[in-house]
Amino acid sequence: MKLRKNLQELISELKTNEDFKDNIAHWHTIDAKPASVVPYPETMDKRLQEALKKRKIDGLYTHQATAFEAATKGKSLVAVTPTASGKTLCYNLPVIQSILENDKTRALYIFPTKALSYDQKSELHEMITEMEVNINSYTYDGDTPSNIRQKIRKAGHIVITNPDMLHSGILPHHTKWVSLFENLKYVIIDELHIYRGVFGSHTANVIRRLKRICHFYGSDPVFICTSATIANPKELAEELTEKSMVLVNNNGAPSGKKHFVFYNPPIVNKPLNIRRSAILEARRLAMEFLRNKIQTIVFARSRVRVEILLTYLQELVSKQLGPKSIRGYRGGYLPKQRREIEKGLREGSIYGVVSTNALELGVDIGQLQVCIMTGYPGSIASAWQQAGRAGRRHGEALIIMVGSSSALDQYIVQNPEYFFGKNPETARINPDNLVILVDHVKCAAYELPFKAGETFGKAEIADVLEFLTEERVLHENNGKWFWMNDAFPAHNISLRSASQENVVIIDLTNEPDVKVIGEMDRYSAMTLLHDEAIYLHQGVQFQVEELDWEEKKAYVREVNVDYYTDANLAVQLSVLEIDKQRNSDSHEAAFGDVSVRAMATIFKKIKFDTHDNIGSGPITLPEEELHTASAMLSLNPVKLGWDENRIEQGMIGAAQALNGMVPLYVMCDPHDIHVYPQVKAAHNEKPTIFIYDRYPGGVGLSEKVYENADLILRETRQMIERCQCETGCPSCVGTDSASDSAKRDAVQLLKLFGSEII
Amino acid sequence: MSLKSKLGRMKSHISLPETENTVPKEKKTTKDNFSAIPFLEKWTENLTSVYRLDGSHCLIRETSYPLDYQHGSYRFNDLLGIVDSWNNSPLEHPLSSAGHQAGDLFFFDTETTGLGGGTGNTIFLLGYAFFENDRVVVRQHILPEPGNEIPLYQSFLEKVNYETLVTYNGKAFDWPQLKTRHTLIKEHVPKLPDFGHFDLYHGSRRLWKNKLDKVKLAAVEKDILGVQRENDIPGYLAPIIYFDFVERKDPEILFGIMKHNEIDVLSLITLYIHLSRQVLQLDGYNRESLEIARWLKLLGNAEAARQTYEAAIQEGTETEQLTALHGLALQWKKDKQYNKAKEAWELVAAGGNERQRVEAWHELAKMHEHHFRDYEAALFATETLYVILNGRISLYGLTPEDLEKRSARLQKKKAKNAALSADDR
Repeated sequence: MKLRKNLQELISELKTNEDFKDNIAHWHTIDAKPASVVPYPETMDKRLQEALKKRKIDGLYTHQATAFEAATKGKSLVAVTPTASGKTLCYNLPVIQSILENDKTRALYIFPTKALSYDQKSELHEMITEMEVNINSYTYDGDTPSNIRQKIRKAGHIVITNPDMLHSGILPHHTKWVSLFENLKYVIIDELHIYRGVFGSHTANVIRRLKRICHFYGSDPVFICTSATIANPKELAEELTEKSMVLVNNNGAPSGKKHFVFYNPPIVNKPLNIRRSAILEARRLAMEFLRNKIQTIVFARSRVRVEILLTYLQELVSKQLGPKSIRGYRGGYLPKQRREIEKGLREGSIYGVVSTNALELGVDIGQLQVCIMTGYPGSIASAWQQAGRAGRRHGEALIIMVGSSSALDQYIVQNPEYFFGKNPETARINPDNLVILVDHVKCAAYELPFKAGETFGKAEIADVLEFLTEERVLHENNGKWFWMNDAFPAHNISLRSASQENVVIIDLTNEPDVKVIGEMDRYSAMTLLHDEAIYLHQGVQFQVEELDWEEKKAYVREVNVDYYTDANLAVQLSVLEIDKQRNSDSHEAAFGDVSVRAMATIFKKIKFDTHDNIGSGPITLPEEELHTASAMLSLNPVKLGWDENRIEQGMIGAAQALNGMVPLYVMCDPHDIHVYPQVKAAHNEKPTIFIYDRYPGGVGLSEKVYENADLILRETRQMIERCQCETGCPSCVGTDSASDSAKRDAVQLLKLFGSEII
Repeated sequence: MSLKSKLGRMKSHISLPETENTVPKEKKTTKDNFSAIPFLEKWTENLTSVYRLDGSHCLIRETSYPLDYQHGSYRFNDLLGIVDSWNNSPLEHPLSSAGHQAGDLFFFDTETTGLGGGTGNTIFLLGYAFFENDRVVVRQHILPEPGNEIPLYQSFLEKVNYETLVTYNGKAFDWPQLKTRHTLIKEHVPKLPDFGHFDLYHGSRRLWKNKLDKVKLAAVEKDILGVQRENDIPGYLAPIIYFDFVERKDPEILFGIMKHNEIDVLSLITLYIHLSRQVLQLDGYNRESLEIARWLKLLGNAEAARQTYEAAIQEGTETEQLTALHGLALQWKKDKQYNKAKEAWELVAAGGNERQRVEAWHELAKMHEHHFRDYEAALFATETLYVILNGRISLYGLTPEDLEKRSARLQKKKAKNAALSADDR
């Protein structure tokens, strides 16, 4: 039996082995960085100092000390901290200090996911136990047993929860939490950068409600946020909490040596510039490490890819390592499954994990040595967080990012300076999105009546109150607005998904023993859970037997087939109103409201391995209508001498490229926006590219696109020009456009749409 | 574009109640609270007066019944005898009104605008019945519209004795909700004191959960207390009716809900009489006696329980005899009368219902293992349980894993025993 190789050996093999070395587009080494430590602040409680000393912490990292000082002076702050930099002490120290000073003090910790709060609680708990003081910290979420809930409400110094629970389980019942709200000194918001887009816009309103209730009980908490590196942490924290923030970014934590490798799969079709599938390539790389029992985490961008990779790897490696040594991890799994996987990773009984970005957050899974990303994860902040999963606590680590054929991935792989330079990603939220705002005004009115002249955070809501009164949801009496409905409003409002109702997935395999195995938002369900779709869960294939759209239930049954399914969405769009506009001779840019009607039309069956199309079928689901915000880029008539078809083909190409590039500038998932070209837009009869938010009312993404249109158009044009293909490929203008001139035409159109002179 | 027209456009994305009447609400002119109460005549006709406080008001309705009025199976004045009986009984029980007079009790129920315990679930009616000067008085405090809570709670707190409330599920619902709504205006009204409470829901559930699908007050009234309701408006319509009233101000429609609440509080009197008679065993041995015995045992009153069980063995049907034996066996085990307990459980294991059989075999398995050290018999009991479970993942708290564990342990003990006795030889 051959000896196992260690990480060092594998790193040098990667550099020299013919199979791999030519595919390495960029090798970036980040040197180890020593710690920058200062003594404990004098004001810090001696018991706290003792506890830290016991844990072999002899001083504070510079950023921890800055955070401590700001917080204890009553200033809200946002600490920007990379993975494994001891960020939890940035908030745990001031919180424990204040409880030691006054036993009545309360703190509320908000983590974006349950998994995270579970983990942070054990860390906090260890520290408190070492100090031998009586500080109660409790997790309060959907899994908390009802018999201890009352105790937590009354006696929990530190209550750990998530925004969803705060929204539907705590705020609507604030009268049962009097001792918390009367004495709330600190609110902790961990992983701030996650609060963007729809989720961030909702959470900003949940925080408005929280602050309103605090005000009622006479408290005014200090907010401590921590964030991964993004371009605008202070701005985001201030928009989310509506408090002015101190920015703490003097990171003093040490870090080990890291190898960051950009890996571009080989081109398999030169004229079309098609590369080998990133999934297959990631599989090949992961195999190498797993075979040598090196703990490896593989990230994939979608649930489907996680399941595909998992199937591949389990098949290949299970004989050598045992079937349970490689596991999947993603949002749709039930809490118990997730706990089990987290535990296996920490204990080392699991060698490999294939994950969606659920694990990108700071869940403590111990020491992984290698991280492989299947494709660029969509944002630089995400990529660094995923990279942080490798080598959290020990020396050398290897991170491999395998580029896919998508435009965005190719841009990143070929422009490492963009990635390793200053992060340009701006996290956007729009707390005043009308749909979201109205939802939370309802919840807020349920919690406490509104008074005349009262604002909701910074939002003026007189019109909203009047609207809700007309709709008989509120009742006005003597200058106050009261909830007047038999519903519990928070139950119908989900903070995370665009649609208000999720589709429940029901497994019929063992009839009559049917069971719920997961859920999915409505919009995704249109293309992933339609009749006959192949749905993958824990590496097991299911076929959808029936999607009951009325009841929002998908009935699935286990199958064993060699293909997966991929669905098309048809879109119709009309302009309702233009809010902002700027014109020039060649083009005009506008921003306003549009109505979009989307319908899933057909699906294709795609064979594993070869990715051949082996069949298709219709999807019969009703149209979904969306009112949202859109940027509109239109072209004034010019003498191009092209026929309409050529313009259309060129625009399809340009749109495809834009769809890839926009997320670089507005920090969103490519699915959060849509780019839709129309040769003759109904509202101005001009060739127009629409870039719209996929959430009703918009969450600020398309507005940002409108503001930065010229920059985005220029960068997109350069990306296409730099692409090595001849007439267009999936990495630039896509293959939907049929004409040979599409690539050239897209470049020219992008110049015209922007302010560039030809 | 104005916010309002945007709101109109986004309407399809906003979840709103479905209203038949889409005519926009008329804008109210500023209202003087001292101005005439709308439909005052109708209110007055229905025995209701206006309670005014600092420019706001609520409504209070008061009606009364003679003491010999029959409501369901009892007359109200039966309560006087019941309170006497409690005062003369040595029994300690959560429903005991010993130390009180009939006039101390307030039979209390609320009507709200929604279900569940959220802050925005508004109480719009606080109703209670009590004994005063040879009459049973029903008093109802009514919220004319949301926002008039201060006079509502002020008048309520002035008039009610909250140390002796009698409710149906008030511990879990009415009182916490009252506390919640009180918290919102706590600066303007007296503090909410601690309260004493007789909650009739738990007792009713204990006695009738096998008999009634849902142990709701309406079901208890109909099937146990013999209360007939005529033209009753079901309680679940209360929110819609109240919203309609707030909009139109015509109280006609609300009178139905008020009548419903009135019967609720009166039925609480009948229910208290009936439950007390069962607990005190004033009607001798009957169908509820065994449940009462279990309840007494749970409360730690073993002697009272034993007496009831023995009565059941004398007078009950075969099923009741088995149930009584099962109860007695537990008692005997506690008193270390193991042989008596074993015999009783052997009977229950043979003839009881499924739950009793499972519990009896389980007890036998435990006794054989730990007390008699008869591992063979314990194994037999364990295997029998396995057969009863028949593949189910859990039955009355027992799982196949539990049984497997027990079985493995017994095998081991048995083997060890065999080895020991071999050594002896």
